[in-house]
Amino acid sequence: MNIQIDTVIKRTRAYWFVDGFTEMAAGGLFILLAGILLFGRNASQPSFPSWFLSVTGKIAVVKIFGILTAVLLLWWLKDHFTYPRTGFVRGNRVTATQVLILTRNVILFLLLPIFGLLAASLFIASADSVLSSMPIWFPVGLGLLWAVLLLLAGEWMGLRRFRLIGITILLTGIVIGIYQLAIGLPTFQVNPQQRILPPYVLESVNRTLASLSFLVLISGVILLISGLVTFLRYRKENPTPYAEDV
Amino acid sequence: MKNLSGLDRVIHEPARLMLTALLSSIESADFLFLLKESGLTKGNLSVHLSRLEEAGYVQTEKTFRGKIPHTEYRLTPKGKSAFVQYRKSIGSIFNVKKA
Repeated sequence: MNIQIDTVIKRTRAYWFVDGFTEMAAGGLFILLAGILLFGRNASQPSFPSWFLSVTGKIAVVKIFGILTAVLLLWWLKDHFTYPRTGFVRGNRVTATQVLILTRNVILFLLLPIFGLLAASLFIASADSVLSSMPIWFPVGLGLLWAVLLLLAGEWMGLRRFRLIGITILLTGIVIGIYQLAIGLPTFQVNPQQRILPPYVLESVNRTLASLSFLVLISGVILLISGLVTFLRYRKENPTPYAEDV
Repeated sequence: MKNLSGLDRVIHEPARLMLTALLSSIESADFLFLLKESGLTKGNLSVHLSRLEEAGYVQTEKTFRGKIPHTEYRLTPKGKSAFVQYRKSIGSIFNVKKA
């Protein structure tokens, strides 16, 4: 019997993802969010604040209800499909200290791009350049963030497909950024006296949202396909529920 | 040689090492999961789980999921510390070999 202890531990950690349901649920949620971003992106000058609040509100609602629905659906699916085939696993209980450490690390991780941006602003002539280049660095930055998270998760659980998904999402972000650069960035001059948002900022916001929508949409499709392939393979390997003799 | 003799013989057996490793990163798992992941036969699995239970490394909980009997296994704190100790011992054996 050849035992690789670390491989065994990683395989157990990855059990939640063995059936592909979680990726399919996440992919579905991403596609829904991308839909809201795509159809809701029309940041016109007079209605900008109300439009922004409306889109942000919709996204928050979809996230909360979407995640709740997905969790309930996943429990039901696993209870009726996965556990009867390959068994039940109860994950480790998370302690309050672990939650605090995780929260701290996530906050620090999310602050990284802001620090990066602040550092970058030292080398960029003005804030306008940062704003007008949003359609480039937003998808690239978000793609990088997801890629890092997926690579770390893939390493922790020994899931090669997570690494591949991470790299694909990063490449998608880079391609979207390059495309935005290729079609040219908004270059309107800003009047510091005017109180309304200059047109190039609105154009930049619209294009950034378009970039993010496509990144989220493509990521959702990638997750959905990965989940579907995993599910089909799992079903092929475990066609019928297992009956335990007592 | 001293390091080798200090190895926990309950865990050192390959099948039980596999079961302990499987249970080490989770709260608990049922018989079916251990059966599928370990690749052991039902009889073998039962014997090894009993051995781990006798050593106080594994705790069994019998419940029902609907009308179906359901048995969950979890590592006890003693089992967890024995597994950690075993990994350290194995590591130290290889370190000694390197030197």
